[in-house]
Amino acid sequence: MARTTTTRRGVLSGLANGLMTLPAAAVYTGLTVVPVGYAVYYSFTQYNGIPSQAPTWVGWENYARIIADPIGDLRPAAWVTLVIAVVGAFLVNGAALGLALLLRRTTALNTFARAVMFYPHVLSALIVGFLWQAILGPQGAVNNLLENAGRSTWPFLSDPDWALVTLIGVIVWAQFGVQLVLYLAGLQAVSPELQEAARLDGAGGPQVFRHVTWPALAPTVTVTIVTSILSLLKVYDVVLGLTNGGPGDATQTWAYEILAVSFANNKVGLACAQAVLLVVVAGVLSFTIIALRRRAEEGAEAVG
Amino acid sequence: MTRTSPIRTAVRVAVVAVLSAAMLVPMYIMVVNAFKPQQEILLSPLGFDLATLTTDHIAAAWQNTSFPVVEGYAVTLFLVLACNVVAIGASVPAAYTIARTPTPLFRFLLFFFVAGMFVPAQIILVPAIFVLKALGLMGTLPGLVLFMSSTMIPFTLFIFSGYIRMLPRSLDEAAAIDGAGRQRILWTIVFPLMRPIVATAFILNALSAWNDFVSPQLILGPGSQFRTITTGVYAAVSTYTTNYEIVFPTLLLAVVPILLIFVLMQRHIMGGLSAGAVKG
Repeated sequence: MARTTTTRRGVLSGLANGLMTLPAAAVYTGLTVVPVGYAVYYSFTQYNGIPSQAPTWVGWENYARIIADPIGDLRPAAWVTLVIAVVGAFLVNGAALGLALLLRRTTALNTFARAVMFYPHVLSALIVGFLWQAILGPQGAVNNLLENAGRSTWPFLSDPDWALVTLIGVIVWAQFGVQLVLYLAGLQAVSPELQEAARLDGAGGPQVFRHVTWPALAPTVTVTIVTSILSLLKVYDVVLGLTNGGPGDATQTWAYEILAVSFANNKVGLACAQAVLLVVVAGVLSFTIIALRRRAEEGAEAVG
Repeated sequence: MTRTSPIRTAVRVAVVAVLSAAMLVPMYIMVVNAFKPQQEILLSPLGFDLATLTTDHIAAAWQNTSFPVVEGYAVTLFLVLACNVVAIGASVPAAYTIARTPTPLFRFLLFFFVAGMFVPAQIILVPAIFVLKALGLMGTLPGLVLFMSSTMIPFTLFIFSGYIRMLPRSLDEAAAIDGAGRQRILWTIVFPLMRPIVATAFILNALSAWNDFVSPQLILGPGSQFRTITTGVYAAVSTYTTNYEIVFPTLLLAVVPILLIFVLMQRHIMGGLSAGAVKG
Protein backbone atom coordinates (compact mmCIF):
# COMPACT_ATOMS: atom_id res chain seq x y z
CA MET A 1 0.00 0.00 0.00
CA ALA A 2 2.71 2.41 1.04
CA ARG A 3 4.60 1.40 -2.06
CA THR A 4 1.79 2.31 -4.46
CA THR A 5 1.55 5.79 -2.91
CA THR A 6 5.25 6.43 -3.47
CA THR A 7 5.04 5.24 -7.08
CA ARG A 8 1.97 7.32 -7.59
CA ARG A 9 3.74 10.27 -6.05
CA GLY A 10 6.68 9.56 -8.37
CA VAL A 11 4.43 9.51 -11.40
CA LEU A 12 2.68 12.67 -10.28
CA SER A 13 5.90 14.58 -9.72
CA GLY A 14 7.20 13.31 -13.03
CA LEU A 15 4.02 14.63 -14.62
CA ALA A 16 4.44 17.95 -12.79
CA ASN A 17 8.03 18.16 -14.03
CA GLY A 18 6.83 17.53 -17.54
CA LEU A 19 4.18 20.24 -17.26
CA MET A 20 6.72 22.77 -16.00
CA THR A 21 8.89 22.31 -19.08
CA LEU A 22 5.94 22.06 -21.47
CA PRO A 23 5.48 25.72 -22.51
CA ALA A 24 9.17 26.25 -23.29
CA ALA A 25 9.44 22.88 -25.02
CA ALA A 26 6.29 23.51 -27.08
CA VAL A 27 7.30 26.96 -28.36
CA TYR A 28 10.92 25.93 -28.98
CA THR A 29 10.01 22.65 -30.64
CA GLY A 30 7.23 24.14 -32.74
CA LEU A 31 9.14 27.08 -34.12
CA THR A 32 12.79 26.07 -34.00
CA VAL A 33 13.13 22.28 -33.96
CA VAL A 34 10.30 21.49 -36.37
CA PRO A 35 11.48 24.17 -38.84
CA VAL A 36 14.97 22.67 -38.72
CA GLY A 37 13.36 19.32 -39.53
CA TYR A 38 11.36 20.89 -42.35
CA ALA A 39 14.51 22.59 -43.65
CA VAL A 40 16.27 19.23 -43.83
CA TYR A 41 13.26 17.66 -45.58
CA TYR A 42 12.75 20.52 -48.06
CA SER A 43 16.48 20.54 -48.80
CA PHE A 44 15.95 17.17 -50.54
CA THR A 45 12.99 18.41 -52.57
CA GLN A 46 12.11 20.80 -55.29
CA TYR A 47 9.48 23.11 -53.90
CA ASN A 48 8.27 26.51 -54.93
CA GLY A 49 6.53 27.25 -51.64
CA ILE A 50 3.04 27.42 -53.10
CA PRO A 51 0.73 25.58 -50.66
CA SER A 52 -1.35 23.92 -53.39
CA GLN A 53 1.73 22.23 -54.85
CA ALA A 54 3.52 19.41 -53.10
CA PRO A 55 7.31 19.29 -52.76
CA THR A 56 8.87 16.71 -55.12
CA TRP A 57 11.64 14.52 -53.71
CA VAL A 58 14.88 15.08 -55.65
CA GLY A 59 17.45 13.52 -53.33
CA TRP A 60 20.80 15.28 -53.15
CA GLU A 61 20.10 17.44 -56.20
CA ASN A 62 20.02 20.75 -54.32
CA TYR A 63 23.31 19.97 -52.60
CA ALA A 64 24.84 18.87 -55.91
CA ARG A 65 23.61 22.14 -57.44
CA ILE A 66 25.30 24.12 -54.66
CA ILE A 67 28.60 22.27 -55.08
CA ALA A 68 28.61 22.26 -58.90
CA ASP A 69 27.39 25.88 -58.94
CA PRO A 70 26.38 26.01 -62.64
CA ILE A 71 25.44 29.70 -62.60
CA GLY A 72 28.58 30.61 -60.68
CA ASP A 73 26.75 32.67 -58.05
CA LEU A 74 27.25 30.52 -54.97
CA ARG A 75 31.01 30.20 -54.94
CA PRO A 76 31.47 33.99 -54.75
CA ALA A 77 28.88 34.11 -51.95
CA ALA A 78 30.71 31.37 -50.02
CA TRP A 79 33.99 33.21 -50.56
CA VAL A 80 32.56 36.57 -49.44
CA THR A 81 31.08 34.96 -46.32
CA LEU A 82 34.35 33.22 -45.52
CA VAL A 83 36.37 36.43 -45.92
CA ILE A 84 33.91 38.33 -43.73
CA ALA A 85 33.99 35.62 -41.06
CA VAL A 86 37.78 35.19 -40.94
CA VAL A 87 38.98 38.77 -41.53
CA GLY A 88 36.07 40.20 -39.57
CA ALA A 89 36.72 37.94 -36.57
CA PHE A 90 40.41 38.92 -36.51
CA LEU A 91 39.67 42.63 -36.76
CA VAL A 92 36.77 42.59 -34.30
CA ASN A 93 38.79 40.69 -31.72
CA GLY A 94 41.97 42.68 -32.34
CA ALA A 95 40.18 46.01 -31.97
CA ALA A 96 38.24 44.79 -28.94
CA LEU A 97 41.27 43.41 -27.13
CA GLY A 98 43.42 46.46 -27.90
CA LEU A 99 40.75 48.83 -26.64
CA ALA A 100 40.01 46.66 -23.60
CA LEU A 101 43.66 46.97 -22.56
CA LEU A 102 43.53 50.70 -23.24
CA LEU A 103 40.26 51.26 -21.36
CA ARG A 104 40.95 48.79 -18.59
CA ARG A 105 41.16 51.24 -15.72
CA THR A 106 37.89 52.72 -14.55
CA THR A 107 38.20 56.47 -15.02
CA ALA A 108 35.46 58.87 -16.06
CA LEU A 109 36.92 59.19 -19.56
CA ASN A 110 37.26 55.41 -19.95
CA THR A 111 33.68 54.78 -18.83
CA PHE A 112 32.50 57.31 -21.39
CA ALA A 113 34.75 55.81 -24.08
CA ARG A 114 33.46 52.28 -23.40
CA ALA A 115 29.89 53.46 -23.96
CA VAL A 116 30.93 55.28 -27.14
CA MET A 117 32.64 52.14 -28.48
CA PHE A 118 29.58 50.06 -27.68
CA TYR A 119 26.73 52.24 -28.91
CA PRO A 120 26.67 51.02 -32.56
CA HIS A 121 25.57 47.65 -31.23
CA VAL A 122 22.26 49.03 -29.94
CA LEU A 123 21.43 50.31 -33.45
CA SER A 124 19.88 47.80 -35.79
CA ALA A 125 22.30 46.46 -38.41
CA LEU A 126 19.96 47.59 -41.18
CA ILE A 127 20.10 51.19 -39.95
CA VAL A 128 23.89 50.98 -39.57
CA GLY A 129 24.00 49.88 -43.22
CA PHE A 130 21.81 52.75 -44.45
CA LEU A 131 23.76 55.29 -42.39
CA TRP A 132 27.15 54.24 -43.77
CA GLN A 133 25.69 54.06 -47.28
CA ALA A 134 24.81 57.74 -46.87
CA ILE A 135 28.34 58.49 -45.64
CA LEU A 136 30.43 56.37 -48.04
CA GLY A 137 28.15 56.06 -51.08
CA PRO A 138 29.13 57.59 -54.46
CA GLN A 139 27.29 60.79 -53.49
CA GLY A 140 27.79 60.33 -49.78
CA ALA A 141 29.29 62.71 -47.26
CA VAL A 142 32.93 61.66 -47.66
CA ASN A 143 32.94 61.75 -51.44
CA ASN A 144 31.22 65.13 -51.44
CA LEU A 145 33.90 66.48 -49.15
CA LEU A 146 36.58 65.12 -51.50
CA GLU A 147 34.84 66.51 -54.55
CA ASN A 148 34.31 69.92 -52.99
CA ALA A 149 38.00 69.98 -52.11
CA GLY A 150 38.78 69.36 -55.78
CA ARG A 151 40.01 65.79 -55.32
CA SER A 152 38.93 62.61 -57.00
CA THR A 153 36.30 60.51 -55.23
CA TRP A 154 36.88 57.10 -53.67
CA PRO A 155 34.84 54.07 -54.81
CA PHE A 156 34.03 52.80 -51.27
CA LEU A 157 30.87 51.10 -52.41
CA SER A 158 31.04 51.24 -56.21
CA ASP A 159 34.15 49.11 -56.78
CA PRO A 160 33.70 45.38 -56.04
CA ASP A 161 36.92 44.96 -54.03
CA TRP A 162 36.47 48.23 -52.18
CA ALA A 163 32.87 47.35 -51.37
CA LEU A 164 33.86 44.14 -49.58
CA VAL A 165 36.54 45.96 -47.59
CA THR A 166 34.06 48.73 -46.73
CA LEU A 167 31.46 46.18 -45.69
CA ILE A 168 33.92 44.46 -43.36
CA GLY A 169 34.95 47.83 -41.94
CA VAL A 170 31.35 48.77 -41.20
CA ILE A 171 30.65 45.37 -39.61
CA VAL A 172 33.73 45.73 -37.41
CA TRP A 173 32.66 49.27 -36.43
CA ALA A 174 29.24 47.97 -35.41
CA GLN A 175 30.32 44.78 -33.64
CA PHE A 176 33.61 45.16 -31.77
CA GLY A 177 31.90 46.93 -28.85
CA VAL A 178 30.26 43.67 -27.78
CA GLN A 179 33.56 41.82 -27.73
CA LEU A 180 35.13 44.82 -25.96
CA VAL A 181 32.68 44.41 -23.08
CA LEU A 182 33.48 40.69 -22.91
CA TYR A 183 37.25 41.36 -22.87
CA LEU A 184 36.82 43.99 -20.14
CA ALA A 185 34.92 41.44 -18.06
CA GLY A 186 37.64 38.87 -18.75
CA LEU A 187 40.40 41.28 -17.77
CA GLN A 188 38.75 41.83 -14.40
CA ALA A 189 39.24 38.15 -13.69
CA VAL A 190 42.99 38.32 -14.32
CA SER A 191 44.69 38.24 -10.95
CA PRO A 192 46.31 41.64 -10.22
CA GLU A 193 48.70 40.00 -7.73
CA LEU A 194 50.09 37.77 -10.43
CA GLN A 195 50.67 40.72 -12.77
CA GLU A 196 52.26 42.69 -9.95
CA ALA A 197 54.51 39.74 -9.10
CA ALA A 198 55.59 39.44 -12.74
CA ARG A 199 56.40 43.15 -12.81
CA LEU A 200 58.42 42.91 -9.60
CA ASP A 201 60.35 40.07 -11.22
CA GLY A 202 61.35 42.56 -13.89
CA ALA A 203 58.88 41.72 -16.67
CA GLY A 204 58.03 44.62 -18.99
CA GLY A 205 54.51 45.46 -20.18
CA PRO A 206 54.58 43.21 -23.27
CA GLN A 207 56.05 40.31 -21.28
CA VAL A 208 53.39 40.59 -18.57
CA PHE A 209 50.77 40.56 -21.30
CA ARG A 210 52.25 37.55 -23.07
CA HIS A 211 52.91 35.37 -20.07
CA VAL A 212 50.22 36.39 -17.59
CA THR A 213 47.34 38.38 -19.07
CA TRP A 214 46.94 36.58 -22.40
CA PRO A 215 46.96 33.02 -21.00
CA ALA A 216 44.51 34.05 -18.26
CA LEU A 217 42.19 35.51 -20.91
CA ALA A 218 41.98 32.19 -22.79
CA PRO A 219 38.36 31.32 -21.84
CA THR A 220 37.23 34.84 -22.84
CA VAL A 221 39.05 34.55 -26.16
CA THR A 222 37.21 31.31 -26.92
CA VAL A 223 33.84 32.91 -26.21
CA THR A 224 34.60 36.04 -28.23
CA ILE A 225 35.95 34.12 -31.24
CA VAL A 226 33.00 31.72 -31.35
CA THR A 227 30.34 34.41 -30.86
CA SER A 228 31.91 36.75 -33.40
CA ILE A 229 32.28 34.03 -36.05
CA LEU A 230 28.71 32.83 -35.48
CA SER A 231 27.34 36.32 -35.98
CA LEU A 232 29.64 37.06 -38.95
CA LEU A 233 28.56 33.90 -40.80
CA LYS A 234 24.95 35.08 -40.95
CA VAL A 235 25.52 38.72 -41.89
CA TYR A 236 22.49 39.96 -43.81
CA ASP A 237 20.79 43.16 -42.57
CA VAL A 238 23.86 45.35 -42.84
CA VAL A 239 24.46 44.14 -46.42
CA LEU A 240 20.89 45.02 -47.33
CA GLY A 241 21.33 48.56 -46.03
CA LEU A 242 24.87 49.21 -47.20
CA THR A 243 25.23 47.64 -50.65
CA ASN A 244 22.19 45.44 -51.28
CA GLY A 245 24.73 42.79 -52.34
CA GLY A 246 26.37 44.95 -54.98
CA PRO A 247 28.09 46.12 -57.00
CA GLY A 248 27.20 43.02 -59.01
CA ASP A 249 27.44 40.18 -56.53
CA ALA A 250 30.56 41.51 -54.79
CA THR A 251 29.00 41.65 -51.33
CA GLN A 252 26.35 38.95 -51.53
CA THR A 253 26.76 36.84 -48.42
CA TRP A 254 25.49 33.30 -47.91
CA ALA A 255 22.54 34.56 -45.86
CA TYR A 256 21.80 37.06 -48.65
CA GLU A 257 21.74 34.17 -51.16
CA ILE A 258 19.30 32.25 -48.95
CA LEU A 259 16.86 35.06 -48.23
CA ALA A 260 17.16 37.59 -51.05
CA VAL A 261 17.97 35.24 -53.95
CA SER A 262 16.77 31.65 -53.44
CA PHE A 263 13.78 32.25 -51.18
CA ALA A 264 12.79 35.45 -52.94
CA ASN A 265 12.69 33.48 -56.22
CA ASN A 266 10.52 30.74 -54.67
CA LYS A 267 13.35 28.19 -54.67
CA VAL A 268 12.45 26.89 -51.22
CA GLY A 269 14.28 23.56 -51.63
CA LEU A 270 17.51 25.27 -52.62
CA ALA A 271 17.15 27.91 -49.88
CA CYS A 272 16.71 25.16 -47.30
CA ALA A 273 19.74 23.21 -48.55
CA GLN A 274 21.79 26.39 -48.28
CA ALA A 275 20.44 27.01 -44.77
CA VAL A 276 21.22 23.45 -43.66
CA LEU A 277 24.79 23.79 -44.98
CA LEU A 278 25.26 27.05 -43.10
CA VAL A 279 24.01 25.58 -39.81
CA VAL A 280 26.32 22.57 -40.29
CA VAL A 281 29.32 24.77 -41.08
CA ALA A 282 28.56 27.05 -38.10
CA GLY A 283 28.24 24.04 -35.79
CA VAL A 284 31.39 22.31 -37.03
CA LEU A 285 33.39 25.55 -36.82
CA SER A 286 32.19 26.32 -33.28
CA PHE A 287 32.97 22.86 -31.97
CA THR A 288 36.36 22.79 -33.72
CA ILE A 289 37.31 26.13 -32.21
CA ILE A 290 36.10 25.09 -28.77
CA ALA A 291 38.07 21.83 -29.01
CA LEU A 292 41.21 23.60 -30.27
CA ARG A 293 40.95 26.18 -27.51
CA ARG A 294 40.68 23.59 -24.75
CA ARG A 295 44.48 23.34 -24.44
CA ALA A 296 44.84 27.11 -24.10
CA GLU A 297 42.08 27.17 -21.50
CA GLU A 298 43.77 24.48 -19.43
CA GLY A 299 46.79 26.78 -19.42
CA ALA A 300 44.51 29.54 -18.12
CA GLU A 301 43.53 27.44 -15.13
CA ALA A 302 47.21 26.94 -14.34
CA VAL A 303 47.79 30.70 -14.46
CA GLY A 304 44.57 31.81 -12.78
CA MET B 1 52.25 52.32 -7.11
CA THR B 2 52.74 55.36 -9.29
CA ARG B 3 54.58 53.78 -12.15
CA THR B 4 52.81 55.45 -15.04
CA SER B 5 54.55 58.58 -16.19
CA PRO B 6 52.43 61.70 -16.83
CA ILE B 7 53.46 61.67 -20.51
CA ARG B 8 52.17 58.14 -21.02
CA THR B 9 48.92 59.05 -19.27
CA ALA B 10 48.57 62.09 -21.52
CA VAL B 11 49.15 60.01 -24.65
CA ARG B 12 46.65 57.45 -23.44
CA VAL B 13 44.01 60.11 -22.73
CA ALA B 14 44.60 61.68 -26.15
CA VAL B 15 44.28 58.35 -27.97
CA VAL B 16 41.07 57.49 -26.11
CA ALA B 17 39.61 60.92 -26.82
CA VAL B 18 40.44 60.77 -30.54
CA LEU B 19 39.05 57.25 -30.94
CA SER B 20 35.85 58.18 -29.09
CA ALA B 21 35.38 61.23 -31.29
CA ALA B 22 35.93 59.07 -34.40
CA MET B 23 33.25 56.63 -33.25
CA LEU B 24 30.80 59.51 -32.91
CA VAL B 25 31.40 61.07 -36.36
CA PRO B 26 28.63 59.03 -38.08
CA MET B 27 26.13 60.18 -35.44
CA TYR B 28 27.23 63.78 -35.91
CA ILE B 29 26.77 63.50 -39.69
CA MET B 30 23.33 61.97 -39.23
CA VAL B 31 22.10 64.57 -36.73
CA VAL B 32 23.45 67.62 -38.57
CA ASN B 33 22.21 66.54 -41.99
CA ALA B 34 18.76 65.65 -40.75
CA PHE B 35 18.12 69.38 -40.47
CA LYS B 36 19.47 70.45 -43.85
CA PRO B 37 18.06 70.58 -47.40
CA GLN B 38 19.58 68.21 -50.00
CA GLN B 39 21.59 70.97 -51.67
CA GLU B 40 23.28 71.85 -48.42
CA ILE B 41 23.93 68.19 -47.54
CA LEU B 42 25.77 67.72 -50.83
CA LEU B 43 27.70 71.01 -50.61
CA SER B 44 28.85 70.75 -47.03
CA PRO B 45 28.10 67.42 -45.38
CA LEU B 46 29.87 68.29 -42.13
CA GLY B 47 29.02 71.93 -41.63
CA PHE B 48 25.80 73.58 -40.64
CA ASP B 49 24.53 77.03 -41.28
CA LEU B 50 22.11 78.25 -38.63
CA ALA B 51 20.31 80.37 -41.24
CA THR B 52 19.29 77.40 -43.40
CA LEU B 53 18.60 74.84 -40.67
CA THR B 54 15.12 73.46 -41.14
CA THR B 55 12.86 70.98 -39.43
CA ASP B 56 10.80 70.52 -42.60
CA HIS B 57 12.39 67.21 -43.49
CA ILE B 58 12.04 65.81 -39.98
CA ALA B 59 8.36 66.77 -40.15
CA ALA B 60 8.06 65.09 -43.55
CA ALA B 61 9.73 61.92 -42.25
CA TRP B 62 7.37 61.97 -39.27
CA GLN B 63 4.39 62.02 -41.64
CA ASN B 64 5.80 59.51 -44.13
CA THR B 65 3.15 56.83 -44.62
CA SER B 66 5.78 54.17 -45.39
CA PHE B 67 7.14 54.53 -41.87
CA PRO B 68 4.38 55.52 -39.44
CA VAL B 69 6.71 56.51 -36.61
CA VAL B 70 4.38 56.32 -33.61
CA GLU B 71 2.81 53.04 -34.69
CA GLY B 72 6.25 51.66 -35.55
CA TYR B 73 7.36 52.38 -32.01
CA ALA B 74 4.20 50.92 -30.53
CA VAL B 75 4.54 47.67 -32.51
CA THR B 76 8.26 47.37 -31.75
CA LEU B 77 7.72 48.01 -28.04
CA PHE B 78 4.92 45.47 -28.02
CA LEU B 79 7.26 42.90 -29.60
CA VAL B 80 9.97 43.61 -27.02
CA LEU B 81 7.55 43.12 -24.12
CA ALA B 82 5.52 40.22 -25.53
CA CYS B 83 8.58 38.21 -26.60
CA ASN B 84 10.17 38.70 -23.20
CA VAL B 85 7.00 37.66 -21.38
CA VAL B 86 6.76 34.48 -23.48
CA ALA B 87 10.47 33.64 -23.46
CA ILE B 88 11.08 34.41 -19.77
CA GLY B 89 7.70 33.09 -18.63
CA ALA B 90 8.28 29.77 -20.39
CA SER B 91 11.97 29.51 -19.48
CA VAL B 92 11.66 30.08 -15.70
CA PRO B 93 9.65 26.91 -14.85
CA ALA B 94 11.51 24.82 -17.42
CA ALA B 95 14.93 25.97 -16.22
CA TYR B 96 13.89 25.44 -12.60
CA THR B 97 12.75 21.89 -13.28
CA ILE B 98 15.86 21.09 -15.31
CA ALA B 99 18.19 22.55 -12.68
CA ARG B 100 16.48 20.74 -9.80
CA THR B 101 15.98 17.33 -11.46
CA PRO B 102 19.41 15.77 -11.98
CA THR B 103 18.23 12.80 -14.05
CA PRO B 104 19.69 11.89 -17.48
CA LEU B 105 16.36 12.77 -19.11
CA PHE B 106 16.50 16.36 -17.92
CA ARG B 107 20.21 16.65 -18.64
CA PHE B 108 19.38 15.64 -22.21
CA LEU B 109 16.54 18.17 -22.24
CA LEU B 110 18.99 20.95 -21.36
CA PHE B 111 21.27 19.83 -24.18
CA PHE B 112 18.25 19.76 -26.52
CA PHE B 113 17.46 23.39 -25.70
CA VAL B 114 21.07 24.59 -25.77
CA ALA B 115 21.57 23.15 -29.26
CA GLY B 116 19.17 25.86 -30.45
CA MET B 117 21.77 28.52 -29.64
CA PHE B 118 23.74 27.37 -32.69
CA VAL B 119 20.81 27.73 -35.09
CA PRO B 120 20.77 31.23 -36.58
CA ALA B 121 17.25 32.65 -36.35
CA GLN B 122 17.12 34.18 -39.82
CA ILE B 123 18.23 30.90 -41.39
CA ILE B 124 15.36 28.78 -40.05
CA LEU B 125 12.94 31.56 -40.87
CA VAL B 126 12.11 30.11 -44.30
CA PRO B 127 10.88 26.74 -42.96
CA ALA B 128 9.36 28.44 -39.88
CA ILE B 129 7.12 30.37 -42.27
CA PHE B 130 5.60 27.07 -43.41
CA VAL B 131 4.95 26.02 -39.81
CA LEU B 132 3.29 29.37 -39.13
CA LYS B 133 1.18 28.96 -42.28
CA ALA B 134 0.05 25.53 -41.09
CA LEU B 135 -0.90 27.02 -37.72
CA GLY B 136 -2.76 29.88 -39.39
CA LEU B 137 -0.44 32.38 -37.70
CA MET B 138 1.43 33.64 -40.76
CA GLY B 139 1.20 37.39 -41.16
CA THR B 140 -0.01 37.90 -37.59
CA LEU B 141 1.61 39.47 -34.54
CA PRO B 142 1.07 36.34 -32.35
CA GLY B 143 2.89 34.28 -34.97
CA LEU B 144 5.78 36.76 -35.01
CA VAL B 145 5.95 36.83 -31.20
CA LEU B 146 6.00 33.03 -31.01
CA PHE B 147 8.76 32.74 -33.60
CA MET B 148 10.96 35.43 -32.03
CA SER B 149 10.38 33.99 -28.54
CA SER B 150 11.36 30.51 -29.68
CA THR B 151 14.72 31.88 -30.86
CA MET B 152 15.23 33.53 -27.45
CA ILE B 153 14.34 30.49 -25.33
CA PRO B 154 17.62 28.51 -25.72
CA PHE B 155 19.88 31.25 -24.36
CA THR B 156 17.37 32.43 -21.74
CA LEU B 157 16.80 28.92 -20.43
CA PHE B 158 20.52 28.17 -20.45
CA ILE B 159 21.54 31.15 -18.30
CA PHE B 160 18.52 30.63 -16.00
CA SER B 161 19.30 26.97 -15.29
CA GLY B 162 22.94 27.85 -14.60
CA TYR B 163 21.82 30.55 -12.17
CA ILE B 164 19.23 28.40 -10.37
CA ARG B 165 21.84 25.71 -9.87
CA MET B 166 23.84 28.21 -7.81
CA LEU B 167 20.87 28.94 -5.51
CA PRO B 168 20.95 26.71 -2.42
CA ARG B 169 18.54 23.79 -2.57
CA SER B 170 17.91 24.11 1.17
CA LEU B 171 15.71 27.13 0.36
CA ASP B 172 13.29 24.97 -1.65
CA GLU B 173 13.40 22.17 0.90
CA ALA B 174 12.63 24.46 3.83
CA ALA B 175 9.65 25.89 1.96
CA ALA B 176 8.48 22.39 1.00
CA ILE B 177 8.56 21.31 4.64
CA ASP B 178 6.43 24.35 5.46
CA GLY B 179 3.93 22.93 2.99
CA ALA B 180 4.45 25.21 0.00
CA GLY B 181 3.68 23.65 -3.39
CA ARG B 182 6.10 23.61 -6.31
CA GLN B 183 4.56 26.57 -8.10
CA ARG B 184 4.56 28.60 -4.90
CA ILE B 185 8.18 27.77 -4.18
CA LEU B 186 9.15 28.70 -7.69
CA TRP B 187 7.31 31.98 -8.02
CA THR B 188 7.51 33.33 -4.44
CA ILE B 189 10.96 32.11 -3.39
CA VAL B 190 13.17 31.21 -6.36
CA PHE B 191 11.93 33.72 -8.95
CA PRO B 192 12.54 36.82 -6.78
CA LEU B 193 16.12 35.62 -6.21
CA MET B 194 16.60 35.39 -9.98
CA ARG B 195 16.13 39.12 -10.50
CA PRO B 196 19.69 39.86 -11.76
CA ILE B 197 19.69 37.09 -14.34
CA VAL B 198 16.13 37.91 -15.43
CA ALA B 199 17.27 41.50 -15.97
CA THR B 200 20.19 40.26 -18.08
CA ALA B 201 17.92 38.07 -20.20
CA PHE B 202 15.39 40.87 -20.57
CA ILE B 203 17.99 43.36 -21.79
CA LEU B 204 19.61 40.99 -24.29
CA ASN B 205 16.26 39.74 -25.62
CA ALA B 206 14.94 43.31 -25.81
CA LEU B 207 17.92 44.42 -27.91
CA SER B 208 17.52 41.54 -30.32
CA ALA B 209 13.75 42.03 -30.63
CA TRP B 210 14.11 45.79 -31.08
CA ASN B 211 16.66 45.44 -33.85
CA ASP B 212 15.24 42.41 -35.65
CA PHE B 213 14.44 43.17 -39.24
CA VAL B 214 14.20 39.88 -41.11
CA SER B 215 11.60 38.20 -38.87
CA PRO B 216 8.99 40.99 -38.98
CA GLN B 217 9.71 41.69 -42.65
CA LEU B 218 9.11 38.09 -43.72
CA ILE B 219 6.49 36.97 -41.18
CA LEU B 220 4.32 40.08 -41.23
CA GLY B 221 5.03 40.63 -44.92
CA PRO B 222 5.91 43.90 -46.64
CA GLY B 223 2.24 44.73 -47.21
CA SER B 224 1.30 44.29 -43.55
CA GLN B 225 -0.63 46.93 -41.66
CA PHE B 226 1.95 46.50 -38.88
CA ARG B 227 5.35 48.08 -39.28
CA THR B 228 8.19 47.86 -36.81
CA ILE B 229 10.88 50.52 -36.67
CA THR B 230 13.21 48.44 -38.86
CA THR B 231 10.65 47.39 -41.47
CA GLY B 232 9.35 50.98 -41.53
CA VAL B 233 12.82 52.37 -42.14
CA TYR B 234 13.36 49.81 -44.89
CA ALA B 235 10.09 50.77 -46.57
CA ALA B 236 10.86 54.49 -46.31
CA VAL B 237 14.55 54.47 -47.24
CA SER B 238 15.49 51.47 -49.39
CA THR B 239 14.31 52.95 -52.70
CA TYR B 240 15.55 56.46 -51.93
CA THR B 241 19.06 55.81 -50.62
CA THR B 242 20.49 58.90 -52.32
CA ASN B 243 17.67 61.23 -51.35
CA TYR B 244 19.38 62.37 -48.19
CA GLU B 245 16.49 64.62 -47.23
CA ILE B 246 14.63 61.38 -46.59
CA VAL B 247 17.50 59.16 -45.39
CA PHE B 248 18.97 61.23 -42.56
CA PRO B 249 15.72 62.43 -40.91
CA THR B 250 14.20 58.94 -41.10
CA LEU B 251 17.27 57.32 -39.56
CA LEU B 252 17.37 60.00 -36.88
CA LEU B 253 13.75 59.32 -35.90
CA ALA B 254 14.54 55.61 -35.81
CA VAL B 255 17.58 55.78 -33.52
CA VAL B 256 16.89 58.61 -31.07
CA PRO B 257 14.80 56.58 -28.58
CA ILE B 258 17.11 53.56 -28.47
CA LEU B 259 20.12 55.85 -28.04
CA LEU B 260 18.36 57.70 -25.21
CA ILE B 261 17.55 54.39 -23.54
CA PHE B 262 21.16 53.34 -24.02
CA VAL B 263 22.51 56.55 -22.45
CA LEU B 264 20.18 56.16 -19.47
CA MET B 265 20.71 52.42 -18.97
CA GLN B 266 24.25 52.10 -20.33
CA ARG B 267 25.62 50.49 -17.17
CA HIS B 268 22.84 47.88 -17.07
CA ILE B 269 22.99 47.05 -20.78
CA MET B 270 26.76 46.57 -20.91
CA GLY B 271 26.78 44.89 -17.47
CA GLY B 272 23.98 42.57 -18.56
CA LEU B 273 25.95 41.56 -21.61
CA SER B 274 29.07 40.61 -19.69
CA ALA B 275 26.98 38.86 -17.01
CA GLY B 276 25.28 36.83 -19.76
CA ALA B 277 28.63 35.92 -21.27
CA VAL B 278 30.12 34.84 -17.96
CA LYS B 279 27.09 32.68 -17.22
CA GLY B 280 27.05 31.41 -20.79
